[in-house]
Amino acid sequence: MRLIIRDDSAAVGDYIANYICKRINEFNPTAEKPFVLGLPTGSSPIATYKALIKLVKDDKLSFKNVITFNMDEYVGLPRDHSESYHTFMFREFFSHIDIPPSQVNILDGNAKDLIAECNSYEQRIKSFGGIELFLGGIGEDGHIAFNEPGSSLASRTRIKTLAYDTILANARFFENDVSKVPRMALTVGVATVLDSREVVVVVTGQRKALALSKAIEEGVNHLWTLSALQMHPWALIVTDEDATAELHVKTVKYFKSIERVQDEVEARQAELRAHGEATQQVGSME
Amino acid sequence: MSSNGLICFTNCLLPQEDGTFVEKDLWIDETRGVILDAQKTFFLRRERPDKIIDLGGNILSPGLIDIQINGGYGFDFSVYEDNDGAYMDGLRLVAERIVETGVTALVPTLITQEKSLYPKLLNLLKPWSPPNAAHLLGWHAEGPFIQMAKRGAHAPPFLLNAAEGFKSFETIYGQDNLADAEDWLMSCGLTQDALGVRIITAAPEVDGVMSAINEFAKRGGCFSIGHSIATTDMATTAVRRGARLITHLFNAMPQLHHRDPSIIGLLGSSPFFASGATYTPFPVSTAAHSKKPSNSDTTGTPPKKAAHASEAFDEIETPPQTPVLLATQRVQAQDDKATLPGTGAITPLPLSRSATYVGGQVEPLQRPYFELIVDGIHAHPNSVRLAYTAYPEGCILITDAMKILDPHLKDGVHPWRDGRNFVKEGDKLYLEGTTTLAGSVVTLDKCVRNFAHFTGCSLAESIKCATFNPARCLGIENRKGTLRAGADADLVILDRQGNVISTWIRGKVVWGKK
Repeated sequence: MRLIIRDDSAAVGDYIANYICKRINEFNPTAEKPFVLGLPTGSSPIATYKALIKLVKDDKLSFKNVITFNMDEYVGLPRDHSESYHTFMFREFFSHIDIPPSQVNILDGNAKDLIAECNSYEQRIKSFGGIELFLGGIGEDGHIAFNEPGSSLASRTRIKTLAYDTILANARFFENDVSKVPRMALTVGVATVLDSREVVVVVTGQRKALALSKAIEEGVNHLWTLSALQMHPWALIVTDEDATAELHVKTVKYFKSIERVQDEVEARQAELRAHGEATQQVGSME
Repeated sequence: MSSNGLICFTNCLLPQEDGTFVEKDLWIDETRGVILDAQKTFFLRRERPDKIIDLGGNILSPGLIDIQINGGYGFDFSVYEDNDGAYMDGLRLVAERIVETGVTALVPTLITQEKSLYPKLLNLLKPWSPPNAAHLLGWHAEGPFIQMAKRGAHAPPFLLNAAEGFKSFETIYGQDNLADAEDWLMSCGLTQDALGVRIITAAPEVDGVMSAINEFAKRGGCFSIGHSIATTDMATTAVRRGARLITHLFNAMPQLHHRDPSIIGLLGSSPFFASGATYTPFPVSTAAHSKKPSNSDTTGTPPKKAAHASEAFDEIETPPQTPVLLATQRVQAQDDKATLPGTGAITPLPLSRSATYVGGQVEPLQRPYFELIVDGIHAHPNSVRLAYTAYPEGCILITDAMKILDPHLKDGVHPWRDGRNFVKEGDKLYLEGTTTLAGSVVTLDKCVRNFAHFTGCSLAESIKCATFNPARCLGIENRKGTLRAGADADLVILDRQGNVISTWIRGKVVWGKK
């Protein structure tokens, strides 16, 4: 796992957007071989979306040949409700970029048969050859997607009951009325995320500091589901200074040193590629 | 033309129904000519616009709506010259040219006519959308049931009373023209989901008018109080009976007197009366009422004086000075008392602002919308601001423009009628050789800019008064004057100073600044 630390959430957003842009462009997606991207909702990724939109507007990036899969959606909330994840994704991202609507996949929380919806979602992901890069965020309790503390680390896409913490945290989006917050969601599982070839996670703000420390300084633990990332061969966490508050100085220094080495290797690899001598992705140097 | 028929306007400010701007994209379907629910189009239709138009940070507004306009570009809606074809050509001409002022819908207005002309003219003024032109929504008949003393430029011999109530209305305007909205639209050859607008400006104190209001309102018409000397009591009764609008506020009506605020006083409708309280106004002034007009003064022969004046102006003096009627003449207010809710009940005094009338919870009376001519001439900027702050939700900007309206007309001397000339000086028009103002020639886009300057409101709030408010008054706010999904894509693009850059009708650009 790699950890990249930037000053603030805007800088984190820029870093991730440029990273994803580079990955998509190096992948050189076509209609036959699209880039498959997993996407989150929530406040953390907004800066990333803003930066990605700018790259699209500046013609440095296109989503014409990108397929997206979102992590989760509330159950029973109308699709055009102001807090639905459909609405969020359209408002914050899809309406501003050039992705064809047919290439967007979001779980249908209003499906008659929710279990069938979850299974078919997994099937659809497989049918595109799996997810190339999954972008994620975390909750204060360290959940990734709606995989609340206690979720199985082998879980797949399924119906999930929201933890009380999450309901309280989300009440601010529902007129501060806890009773209006949906109790259930459909979400990809921890294993679904781990199946993707690369995982990038945004962690910003002091409130996420404890979760970050639990996820990377302690062992794999189903009470902090992000910690499952330790089992992934190519994972990247991008964080701001605030979110590192609970980390050991040693941890921070170690990860900063990794960034330097990675940069050197990637530069060398890029040179080789320019001469046609390298075809492999660099992957994680960690 | 977009290859899938959808257009996305981006990088623009959208005026909202609450009087704010939001920076957001707007999607329209140029084939069907409607505004789209972008999110539904994306997730359900699985489409996104192939054509993207970057507006460079400018304003994308619903098209402006003028609900009182007498003519323009040389054509006078009130002049019929023995030929339907010529009249329709005139209508089309105005509809085609007016789009340069950002107007995408208008209600042609007739000043008082010789009575035999009404059925014919109103029949010609069916809702009509000529190609590439503003929508003609129907008609606004100003007169003939108006007050002699406040007639403005309306021809005295043509003014009438409505002794038989609504039946008199039918006799004059024509039974077909006053049919139920649905039947009327069908008789116009339109389906019931078509839009049609009928407005009558009349004076509630004129014999028989008060009793006609309810029936006209029930049939889907918009009754507007104007050219009237009604007391506040009478005006309130008119509103209770269904009047929805006040014609060119401040003009052709008694001025605001604190003891009987007359028609203007409707903007302040007090919650005191919601519980059925009665109030006997102290006599306004004995001096004024010693000159109380006889019937012949208020409804009879006018003073002999040239009446080449703006339709809305009181060019003639209308003695005595305001108010004309004794406020204690509670003529028809009495019979409505029984229908007031909560009569005799004691209204508990509110303890917090939110529970008060100001906070909008207890509406004693659904206050009427009111029209303002914001040319800086027909009403002082202070008066404009006073009215707007009293009831912002009810404010509607109109031009009340004459046939000489034409933004290309240069300042100088121009021929008018009867061999006379007028002098144009900006938005002012004088009869040559006089200081008599000859009417309004202001364009609606200029009114929008003026209004923001006069009241200090934002451009978005000002736009609302020329789009959403008139649409809501006429009950067409799902289709016009709004950017709601499903509304007609009648749009105007304005720069951030409110100047018109281009105008769109049903999804097609019909005018662009060169």
